[in-house]
Amino acid sequence: MALPPFQYVAPATVDETLALLSEYGERIKVLAGGTEITGRLKQRLVTPSHILSLKNVPGFSGIATKEGEVVIKAGTTLREVIASPLLKPAFSAIIQAAEAVAAPPIQNIATIGGNLLQNTRCLEYNQSELVRKASGLCFKTGGGTCLAVKGGNRCFSVYQGDLAPALMAFDATIKVEKKGSSRILTVCDLFSGKGESPHTLSADELVTEIHLPVPASPFASSYKKLRMRGSLDYPLASACVFLSVGDGVAREARIVLSACGPSPLSRTEAAGLLKGKALTQIDVQEVADAAARGVEAADNLVLPASYRRKMFRVLAARAIREALDDLTKAGS
Amino acid sequence: MNDTSIIGKSTRRVDTTAKATGEAHFSADLYLPRMLVGKVLRSPHPHARIVRVDTTKAEKLPGVKAVVTGRDSTGEKWGVFRYTQDMQFLPADKVRYIGEEVAAVAAVDADTALEALALIEVEYEELPAYFTVHEAMKRGAVLIHDAFADNINIHVKIDVGDVEKGFKESYLVREDTFNAPEESYFQAEPYAVVAQFDNSGNLDIWSPNAGPHLKAKPLSNCLRMPLNKVRVRKITIGGAFGGRSEISPADVICSMLARKASRPVKIAYSREENTIATRQAHSMTAKIKTGVDREGRVVARDITCHMDGGAYSSTGPIAVSVPFLCMEQAYRMDNVRYNGFRIFTNKPIRGMYRTHGRAFACGIDLQLDMLGEELGIDPVTMRLRNARQVGDYTPTRSFVPSCGMTETIVKAAEASGWKEKWGKLPPFHGIGIGCNSVQTGFPMGIRGGSEAFIKFNEDGGVTVISGVVDNGQGNENMLVQITAEELGVLPEDVQLITADTEVTPSDPGSYSMCETFVGGNAVRLAAEDAKKKLFALAAKTLECDPEELVARERKIFVKGEPERSLPLAKVVRMGLSKGLSISGKGAYWPKVDPRREWVDNPTGQLSETFSFGTTIVEVKVDPDTGLVEVVHAWASQDVGYALNPRVVESQFEGGLAMGGQGGMLTEFHIFDKGRVLNATQLDYKVPLACDMPPITNIIVETHDPKGPYGAKEAGMSVAMSAAQGYAAAICNALGVWIHEFPLTPDVIVKALEEKKVKG
Amino acid sequence: MMEKPEKIRCALRINNEDYDLFISPHRTLLEVLRDELQLTGAKESCNEGACGTCTVLLDGLPVRSCLLLALEAQGREVTTIEGLAKDGKLHPVQEAFVEHHGIQCGFCSPGMILTAKALLDENPHPTEAEIRRAISGNVCRCTGYAKIVEAIKAASGKEI
Repeated sequence: MALPPFQYVAPATVDETLALLSEYGERIKVLAGGTEITGRLKQRLVTPSHILSLKNVPGFSGIATKEGEVVIKAGTTLREVIASPLLKPAFSAIIQAAEAVAAPPIQNIATIGGNLLQNTRCLEYNQSELVRKASGLCFKTGGGTCLAVKGGNRCFSVYQGDLAPALMAFDATIKVEKKGSSRILTVCDLFSGKGESPHTLSADELVTEIHLPVPASPFASSYKKLRMRGSLDYPLASACVFLSVGDGVAREARIVLSACGPSPLSRTEAAGLLKGKALTQIDVQEVADAAARGVEAADNLVLPASYRRKMFRVLAARAIREALDDLTKAGS
Repeated sequence: MNDTSIIGKSTRRVDTTAKATGEAHFSADLYLPRMLVGKVLRSPHPHARIVRVDTTKAEKLPGVKAVVTGRDSTGEKWGVFRYTQDMQFLPADKVRYIGEEVAAVAAVDADTALEALALIEVEYEELPAYFTVHEAMKRGAVLIHDAFADNINIHVKIDVGDVEKGFKESYLVREDTFNAPEESYFQAEPYAVVAQFDNSGNLDIWSPNAGPHLKAKPLSNCLRMPLNKVRVRKITIGGAFGGRSEISPADVICSMLARKASRPVKIAYSREENTIATRQAHSMTAKIKTGVDREGRVVARDITCHMDGGAYSSTGPIAVSVPFLCMEQAYRMDNVRYNGFRIFTNKPIRGMYRTHGRAFACGIDLQLDMLGEELGIDPVTMRLRNARQVGDYTPTRSFVPSCGMTETIVKAAEASGWKEKWGKLPPFHGIGIGCNSVQTGFPMGIRGGSEAFIKFNEDGGVTVISGVVDNGQGNENMLVQITAEELGVLPEDVQLITADTEVTPSDPGSYSMCETFVGGNAVRLAAEDAKKKLFALAAKTLECDPEELVARERKIFVKGEPERSLPLAKVVRMGLSKGLSISGKGAYWPKVDPRREWVDNPTGQLSETFSFGTTIVEVKVDPDTGLVEVVHAWASQDVGYALNPRVVESQFEGGLAMGGQGGMLTEFHIFDKGRVLNATQLDYKVPLACDMPPITNIIVETHDPKGPYGAKEAGMSVAMSAAQGYAAAICNALGVWIHEFPLTPDVIVKALEEKKVKG
Repeated sequence: MMEKPEKIRCALRINNEDYDLFISPHRTLLEVLRDELQLTGAKESCNEGACGTCTVLLDGLPVRSCLLLALEAQGREVTTIEGLAKDGKLHPVQEAFVEHHGIQCGFCSPGMILTAKALLDENPHPTEAEIRRAISGNVCRCTGYAKIVEAIKAASGKEI
């Protein structure tokens, strides 16, 4: 299926970019790596009049340290993320997440910003025009019903990005710019929790940087992704854990579950069960069960919700165990 | 086969260099002068009357050169059998599934064509639609086709011996029901057609097909053209797997557009169109009742199968029968009954698929394991005790002239270390076996035979003219190897003209595994014919008996005395100088029972011979996630003779990936009211390189008396036995019998939970 | 009817040759290679980046040309399957695929071969696991990948 026609603009600076976003708003879409937007265009899920390419904007990719943070430009490809000596081996969950995205050829061109900002997905939504004509509208396409959850009163589409849960586990923030101003928000606050419009950004905003605070060592992290095949597939469920220690006792802990509903979920209560505990005293399954309790899933991916719901505790436990093993090996 | 120089060797294929460089052209790679882009308008309704189609706005759009609808159709209804003629290409009365063709346009570019489609107005009157076989068969259901009561398309009935008596005499009887949803082919190449008329009204048409001659006749019927003006052309084909044997609506629609526009037209299907608007594989429920004696030998078996055929007949009678036939060939049984039903629903059309009936095949074998468990007999022994033997007759009266079933079981068991592993593996680590058999063709009436011609150039080069088609499995190479061997030339001396209905004589196509047996034999006979003439000439000059001559490496010489030789090219010229044309002609018609018919008379010789095979699989299951790691697979098949061992191995490996790894672990379609929700590779999971196990290939050769050099078939059997082996291995690993396939992670986790609850 | 955007200039460098094209902005690199230049080695099989038959090398790295606007490939080096053989001689990876029966229907082969070549350029002696991972995004329906992996193993170490 060919793409719908559009005008193409390729500004040469960030300011030009922001000016265009401000002028065109909803009618313009940003093109970074293109691995997501191209598919959505082909299915006519989105039909902008303009496509804005970032290819000519200098300095939009790269990883550097600055004032105790690792700063990743939003246009950095996942391949560059995986290879970065500033991220490996310490930020292992982020590397694991980047390596888990689709397959290597996608990683060669997909960007971390694009991966973060991917739209939510659902078997009923991500369809051709023919199938959507046959099914009728749903909440996400402007209608008043959910096709996946019969009788559902909201959109259950799933956020399936791999990087977001890992970035959240590391307490990352993002820099968002628009014409005349910029702001910083946590990755967590980027998500609205609403399937119809999963991100809290306005149409004229551009994500330019991701900031990773460098934790007080020692720390470990782990990202676990569930999919039927060993490559290519989006997650059916995922879990990310961050754990730091001090004096043999867990200090900072974060557990993020994703590929459940419209946004990744930070499980603070469950993570709290880890804090202050001696590593050898941690009841992994208890924490994992707490993290997974009440996490929703709908029958809108290839495997049933009843199965996926059971997997969050399994993945959470595996992520916690791997983080603990890494910390133990490092001699904490 | 002892003294061959090319046959039996893993020579490089003749077609793969062009594929490696990208020079090989598939149908969508063709660009003809002034070619137009064709696009099809499809029904968004699963069942609806077509009230009105208005194409005026579309026709007026600049750049649109032709528009066709049901009004342009000849009204000819097509079906693969006379009693299944239910499909009009471009329907005028009603649509029967989401995605069915309603209209089509040809325009100067894709954008214009898409814009034109959006301008076609269609008014539908929706009808009740049925998405399961139960809904469709219910009393009072609207008929999808008026001629078929209760929406039952086909009922195959086979009853041999006395099944009830057999059950009474059995030591142990079990009844189980197995089911599987639909799957589909996912050939790498999506369907595409290029059609062009010349100013004499000849049609040239290119499309991926499994039988050009099988396409030409229906095309000539539908377009009301004489057959000799319909020229299905040779093109590189990106896979078929049973799915491209029949004419496709796209073929007719593209031809109609090309005729109307007086310009070539290309229709290239999207992946979604290839999935929903060509063919899929049947979903099915198989209820199997089997009675065995104390030693585990099957005494009686009764199977009832319900298959969801989708909206049209397609190859219905064949697809309903083949799962049963494969089983009755593979295993001995005196008393067997089969009731196979194919039911219409308002879903995409189902046809024959390489893994014919996974629920049926896996059900049969799992049940043998279940019965064996109760009797204290291991699965390998159960197979050995029931295995088909040479000289047998199948229940429906096919004689089995060669059979290596036992040998494949024994060899696979040995290679896999079955004895050391069975019953001794740790929890969630399992091993399983599957056995099956495939026919080499079936009665195809006037299209069942293959004819071939061979011509010589004066420099000793050779051209083979044959209707054999290559879908990627290596059939072209097979013809070259056979010809080179017979005539004593080198493979590079052989040119092929194949699969072109203007030039090549009729051939059944790669339909039901018969190309090697039928097409290969025809070429071999043509080569023998030519060789006879060459030897007669050479014998005079060499002063010997033609019987003493041998041809090898471009020379004809006396056996055992290579100095007494003549270059082949010289013999050719000798003939020409005497006014003798040197050419060869051969034809092969398999000796099948012409009275055998799928529904009316399902008895008699089905095909001349059969392949037999066993796959053993070892797996480890992650009990928490239900994910399966396949440790190793051993694929064994009696192929009669391996004309090219690496080509044969390639078929085993591909079959295992399709039937086992995909068919048992990840492949199934998700429907919502007739809409296919996973029509593309993103959500329909075909196996990837990182998930495949190491595969050990065990070729068994029983040297069939009739096959060319003893060869039978190699392309389908492993797909089926692999599915069975995977299912058995996983059930063994879990200690639970599962009756639904594929064994996706959720199915496995659920089965383990239920097991925990039970005990 | 949306106003049709004008065609704009697109300068591409493909297989070391420069092309000065005039195309609609919404054309993908795959469409331009096939429809404008008849470089039909790159194929469309899924059109959504999930199969790899459209693979080309972009500055030596395998990418999905069906997900890349042609305009985005400007200023980069594009290598298609047609650019591998030199002076009628197959590239060692192509040769290995033919010799080791790593090709059946051939539809996935251009994408598979380019991906393999890129792997060996970066990692001349990959382990089997590394090979399988590198081609994990290339779908083959015919071979079960067994002889593809053998071919790549055979080609490793034979790079020029």
